Amino acid sequence: MAVDITIPQDLWEEDREAVITNWLAGDGATVRGGKPLVEIMVEKTQFEIEAPADGVLTISRHADDIVRKGDVIGTIG
Amino acid sequence: MQPTKEQKLWMYENMVVSRRFEEIIEKIYLEGKTPAFNMASGPIPGEMHLSNGQEPVAVGVCAHLNADDVATATHRPHHQAIAKGVDLNRMAAEIFGKKTGLSGGRGGHMHIFDPKVNFACAGIIAQGCGPACGAALSRKMQGKPGVAVSFLGEGAANQGAFHEALNLAGVWSLPVIFVIEDNAWGISVAKKDSTAVARNDVRAAAYGMPGHYIPGNDPYAIFDIAGEAIKRARDGGGPTLIEIETYRLAGHFMGDAEGYRPEGEKEKLFEKDPIPAMRQRLIADGDASDADLDAIEARAQAKVDEAIAFAKASDYAPETDALTSVFA
Amino acid sequence: MSNEGTNERRLTIARAMAESIQQEMQNDARVFVMGEDIGELGGVFGNTRGLLEEFGKERIRDTPISETAFISAAVGAAQDGMRPVVELMFVDFFGVCFDAIYNLMAKDIYFSGGGVKVPMVLMTSTGGGYSDAGQHSQCLYASFAHLPGMKVVSPSNAYDAKGLMTAAMRDDSPVVYMYHKRLQGMGWLGTEAGATVDTPEESYTVEIGKAKVVREGSDVTLVGLAMGVHNALKAADKLAEQGVSAEVVDLVSLVPLDRETVINSVAKTGRLIVVDEDYHSYGVSGEIIATVTEHDISKLKAAPKRVTYPDVPIPFARPMEQFCLPNPDKIVAAYKAM
Repeated sequence: MAVDITIPQDLWEEDREAVITNWLAGDGATVRGGKPLVEIMVEKTQFEIEAPADGVLTISRHADDIVRKGDVIGTIG
Repeated sequence: MQPTKEQKLWMYENMVVSRRFEEIIEKIYLEGKTPAFNMASGPIPGEMHLSNGQEPVAVGVCAHLNADDVATATHRPHHQAIAKGVDLNRMAAEIFGKKTGLSGGRGGHMHIFDPKVNFACAGIIAQGCGPACGAALSRKMQGKPGVAVSFLGEGAANQGAFHEALNLAGVWSLPVIFVIEDNAWGISVAKKDSTAVARNDVRAAAYGMPGHYIPGNDPYAIFDIAGEAIKRARDGGGPTLIEIETYRLAGHFMGDAEGYRPEGEKEKLFEKDPIPAMRQRLIADGDASDADLDAIEARAQAKVDEAIAFAKASDYAPETDALTSVFA
Repeated sequence: MSNEGTNERRLTIARAMAESIQQEMQNDARVFVMGEDIGELGGVFGNTRGLLEEFGKERIRDTPISETAFISAAVGAAQDGMRPVVELMFVDFFGVCFDAIYNLMAKDIYFSGGGVKVPMVLMTSTGGGYSDAGQHSQCLYASFAHLPGMKVVSPSNAYDAKGLMTAAMRDDSPVVYMYHKRLQGMGWLGTEAGATVDTPEESYTVEIGKAKVVREGSDVTLVGLAMGVHNALKAADKLAEQGVSAEVVDLVSLVPLDRETVINSVAKTGRLIVVDEDYHSYGVSGEIIATVTEHDISKLKAAPKRVTYPDVPIPFARPMEQFCLPNPDKIVAAYKAM
């Protein structure tokens, strides 16, 4: 059952956009839940999002893409 | 804090060793450099900065230090090295540039390193202040005993490195003591023309530490104030700045004609030579007899003679040693 | 689904540096970090993130703005048995503290005839291309590599970054670890995807003093360091589209310098282009070319070329700065001109 990787609602205030700066694993990589998976940046601050589950990563939004809270940027299945 | 009789005699002996050493070094240094003074010539080439007259600073402070304590010094280091317990034979050999020298001849007179007694010096003004802070920090972090002393001249108290180091020592409360030897001259520039304050002890307030000024080149007064400061540091009380009035009886460097000194100043200084003064004081206080002091002086001379003989008899390192010891 | 063995992960260079320091600090109580903003902030360039939380203020020390004091203090501490990692925030700041670096840190082993060791790492950020102007964008590789007594390394990717940092912390000689700001993975400096690579979780070293052939080829040797490697790799892609096979050598280390790898590569290809973001004259590019030509000029099919920064202070305005910087197109043009 694929688990979505979603931009959290509570990482930063207001409705600012973010940019994906670094995926910390490649498309198709096997990743572990709880480990840092992707870095996003809001203005000058970087945040990290942990993998929500163990499994194989599928990336749908790539580095340099602009994202908003709630966006799904990949899945783990 | 007053010195015991043993400490007084220790101080006297080390002052005499220093002075005899400087006298013979001066003599040998000038070999090959007359009539034309070419710095590159002779058995001891390069620069030479002698500490004649400044011995009280070295002994008054180092009387409280042991081999584990750290001392950094400057381009005029011999008296401090001797008082700190640096191997005199190997120091002499290093000054001559021989293979048996402390650094195999790579350092010379301005770069005396003796790790056994944690002594190092360098020719860049105030460069030793930071490393003394670092050694103090290291002991604090490791929970090991030991204090660090940074010896510098009054001219160095105007260098950025000095100010940065004092602030760091103050903000991190490091067990380090900064000892300024005020011999009134930064080469040819008098202190009053280089320094915005008459005495550097007032600068201590800017860095959150106590400051002291000791006039008169008096080994007992230096022993007292330095002893308090070192004890404070050992007890976790942090850094101290001490400035000590001393007399540079030699020129800044050998070859310095000292034309910048006002007339008669040098002669007056010789009248205040701290070694005869201490000898008289020891006798007057009943701490030693003439015979005792003669014996000490003979022993001091013998140590110096042995060191010089060792240096002269030693070979130079092969010239290719210049290419080694760059990295650990 | 769960995985048993592998946890494939890529790190940015910033994370790789922090992880290397973290793992070494877990194993060696003598290692500690000093520098401006390396504590609470985790380093302006992200290279000490997480360390203050794990190790505390005694071992992760934010310093006053006193480079001479804390760099020379690191020397004193290193000589007394500690193993400090110190940061000079921007390599451009070396002017205020260079005595402590080249005259003290780099020379104490020699001055003492090996009597003391100086096991410290001086990490410092380099590089431009994001309009930080003349005092915050330099590389200055040659200024450090030229002066004896300090090892100098600069990683192009996270795998090397972690291994080099570990090797540097274990070295008893002082190591200057130069990291390029635009390879760190800090989004606000732009990102270079090629620098964020798979990096093992366990501790490991990358040998200081060994260059790497990161792309094999037969027609021309492109030699680079840090950002220069990425420029060279992109140029190699463009050249490949035109039927030219380029070999790319990542120097990794300037001191010691692996001249042999460069010599062997040029012996194979016969052509040499050096990419160097440091100033053109009196530097790394000249050193590499001299290394090859004084070895055996008969191997060269054409005069060597270099793509370097011109001998000017770094300009602020974007068109001017981009005009000056090495880039893949300039490397391709250099090949065409051979």
